[in-house]
Amino acid sequence: MKQGEFLSTVLPFKDKLYRLAKRILVSNDEAEDAVQEVYLKLWKNKRSIKNYNNPEAFAMTMTKNYCLDRLKSKQAGNLKIVHSNYPHSQNVARQIEANDGVALVFKIMETLPEQQKIVLQLRDVEQFEFAEIAKMLDSNETAVRVALSRARKTVREQLIQYNNYGIS
Amino acid sequence: MELAKIEQLLEAYFEGNTTLEEEAILRAYFTKTNVAPHLQQYQPIFAGFAQAQGERSVREIVLPKGPKTASRWWVGIAATLLVAIGVFGFFNQEPTLTAEEKEALAAFEKTKEAFKLMSQNFNEGAEELVYIQKFKETKNKILK
Repeated sequence: MKQGEFLSTVLPFKDKLYRLAKRILVSNDEAEDAVQEVYLKLWKNKRSIKNYNNPEAFAMTMTKNYCLDRLKSKQAGNLKIVHSNYPHSQNVARQIEANDGVALVFKIMETLPEQQKIVLQLRDVEQFEFAEIAKMLDSNETAVRVALSRARKTVREQLIQYNNYGIS
Repeated sequence: MELAKIEQLLEAYFEGNTTLEEEAILRAYFTKTNVAPHLQQYQPIFAGFAQAQGERSVREIVLPKGPKTASRWWVGIAATLLVAIGVFGFFNQEPTLTAEEKEALAAFEKTKEAFKLMSQNFNEGAEELVYIQKFKETKNKILK
């Protein structure tokens, strides 16, 4: 497989890989590094990529696994980098008041268990079907739904809690 | 979209029982400006997801140059083999000679043999010289 052909297969979902990596690793830099690593691995295994009927799902799984590994080694090295830099939406007028709430939602998402974080990202941000998510996570649809429900409820509860106490 | 429907969808949403289409309806509703006051608390959730969706990777992917990685290993082996064959061939060179050179070589061998024979005889002769030395010693003893 030529590099051009390879890139046209795998580049369309680069941003999705990046966002998943960022959701897990939080830091922009770490997420970019992770995406680069995943693409290198994909490139090295480019012969087998044709055998996967869904390279996107395959790449998402790889990204997830790579990021979780990174997280493990980072925690082992006691090096938890946390810095959040959210891009600004173009729709400034409406976003201004909602911004505190949105920042809060991101903060709450960071505190979710990894699996819930990933499911929430894949469903509510990337809008994958449950079957696809289950395949990516090597899980089943019921488990995905349960994790998703927990994640959504946690976000809701924490958001309400923060708002009630006026901490935001 | 009537409010009751939205509330119903929202409930299903938190149970993880909505389809992608239903979630699209919820997203559309919550990104509008006229959200019912009691539902406004959910707005940041959907706004947050929309914002998360806008995140883009800004770094270029760097891949190693195409065919090089694939061919590098056998290029090394090929080079090693070539050198090995060269060295082997060099040391196993059969000297090819013309008739004249062969004749010269034969003559050289013959001469060598002759010299060898001569030196052998000469050495035998030299061994006999020991007696002369003995004679000299004895003579010195007497004539001192």
